[in-house]
Amino acid sequence: MKLAEALSIVHRAPADALEFPVLLACGFTPLHLQNYLAAHLQKVMPERRVRIRTGLYGDLCGTLEQFSQQDGQVVAVALEWTDVDPRLGYRQLGGWGRRVETNILESAEAKLVRIREAISSLPPSSKIVMSLPTLPLPPAFHTSGTQASRAELKLREALARFGTEIVRNPQVAVVNQQRLDLISPPHTRYDFRSDLHTGFPYTLTHADALGGLLAALIQPPMPKKGLITDLDDTFWAGLVGEDGHDGVSWDLTNHSQIHGIYQQMLHALADHGILIAIASKNSPEIVERALSRRDLLIPREKIFPIEVHWEPKSGSVARILQAWNISAEAVVFVDDSPMELEEVRAAHPGIECIQFPKSDYAAGLTFLERLRDLFGKATLSQEDSYRLESIRRAQNLAISNGNADSVERFLAQAEAEITFEFNPPASDKRVVELVNKTNQFNLNGIRYSEPEWHASLKRPGSFVLAVSYRDKFGPLGKIAVLKGVKEEGVVHLDTWVMSCRAFSRRIEYQCLTYLFSHFDVDEIAFDFQATPKNKPMEDFLAGLLGRPPSCSYRLTRATFEAKCPKLYHKIVK
Amino acid sequence: MDHLEERLKRIFATIFPHLSPNKIETADQESVETWDSVAAITLINLIEEEFGIEVDLDRASELRSFSEILGYLKERGVPEAF
Repeated sequence: MKLAEALSIVHRAPADALEFPVLLACGFTPLHLQNYLAAHLQKVMPERRVRIRTGLYGDLCGTLEQFSQQDGQVVAVALEWTDVDPRLGYRQLGGWGRRVETNILESAEAKLVRIREAISSLPPSSKIVMSLPTLPLPPAFHTSGTQASRAELKLREALARFGTEIVRNPQVAVVNQQRLDLISPPHTRYDFRSDLHTGFPYTLTHADALGGLLAALIQPPMPKKGLITDLDDTFWAGLVGEDGHDGVSWDLTNHSQIHGIYQQMLHALADHGILIAIASKNSPEIVERALSRRDLLIPREKIFPIEVHWEPKSGSVARILQAWNISAEAVVFVDDSPMELEEVRAAHPGIECIQFPKSDYAAGLTFLERLRDLFGKATLSQEDSYRLESIRRAQNLAISNGNADSVERFLAQAEAEITFEFNPPASDKRVVELVNKTNQFNLNGIRYSEPEWHASLKRPGSFVLAVSYRDKFGPLGKIAVLKGVKEEGVVHLDTWVMSCRAFSRRIEYQCLTYLFSHFDVDEIAFDFQATPKNKPMEDFLAGLLGRPPSCSYRLTRATFEAKCPKLYHKIVK
Repeated sequence: MDHLEERLKRIFATIFPHLSPNKIETADQESVETWDSVAAITLINLIEEEFGIEVDLDRASELRSFSEILGYLKERGVPEAF
């Protein structure tokens, strides 16, 4: 992005929009890092007005300490070697070489501890994104440039320790050096002239790259939830119908390693809670034999559903999406055939279709990196490990739902247990994650950054209710979040989301029962807003009131109790 | 045909979006309140980006108005029209 474009984006931000404040902490003059960070954020948040505030020039720790007095913030930290010791730059003349190497190492260790402590002192509701030094070390050491000196290696060791310590804090996300190297090669980053004249050490291209990566950590794209894969020449090399179940391959010997790597990646994704399904045009019997091979790199039970027949793949994808109960936008479809990809894309706009690069090695590597980007999550939660099993159970429940008696029997015998937790700690990232990723059973679709979420709880009388569920088949984990305030005898709900995995268990009814009872109120008001995706919520509210909900929807206890079905859950507080 | 003066005006409009087009030609550090040291550096960076030249920073303090910058660009041999 050119600087002129970045400035135009920043200037075009809607003046009356809700502000999105970010604190930028760096030891150098922030100049165009500030502009590029603002522009990249503004691009992904066009409905907000991004405002970057900066701190004290030349004093990173002082800036962080100053920020620690302010609650609920997004903080971006651009660390450079000069913050670790000013002698590791060009603007201060404190000496180089053997005479000062030991002293630099000692002061660097101490400074990194101070920076770590300053970051730890930021309020727990802050979100902190950080880049570790991106600029080269100066020629301050006694070895030639081709040889790494012990002092340089010790500095890098101290920095690596600092990095691993700092990411133990779940508030902190660190820019991936490998990605930065790719988009901003190290030799193109430093601007000697600008550093000496203005105190801004980055070239414009580097400021652009780093600003973009920091922005991506502040406002990451929503990870995809599921991957549907083809089999022949994708999951494995060869056509199973022609080559036989033992004729398809995914190994070095048969020059089909890329398919093995793909299977390995699918297994890792499944372990991370990503749903994996198969859509293949084949004979089910032969595929079944191939999927039973013991050298498969992803266990068969990690794949669900498996759609194998000769019907169009768009139909298979539709059934898989229904079983998963997620929208096409949350799913990636991988196939080696451009025609199949097009057929699925036409039927399911929004689905991410990727052609499997079976004979292009460079494209193969790019494909694997792309999968990482599409499915990458900042943290893995316990719920990620429950997801597939709970979907299988929901499928069974859906099958039995055809018969009212069997539904009642199923629910009565499920030994369901609901845990209500008021005001979970800020360290519980699942709460905001659930609010931001749930589309269908969502009161109004409003998304929050973590600091915004915590700031919204400052209103007197406000509460958050986190809801977890388990039954005799196993836990679903934390599946619902409600946020609101009790005022003048009425509970006002401004947030209510529930994972689609928890549908059909009457948990939503139990939530309202609990609110009426816990707050001892006769009325609940809902900040309902229809969105393109929250029809399940709309239908639920309409069912209670007997008419479509409005934005100021209110429900009395008497109306609710008249409509509430029998509930079988055991309640844990 | 894109003229040097028009391109410079676009740069000024980018960095000083509140300036009306007829005020840009007479803009100088005295009359434009937001023309501070940061704006001055940004202006130089934008000029370098747009015209593909490296501005002599020792002369940056002489570039205090639209007309002075226009004169400097002509002196550097930036063509009038592209």
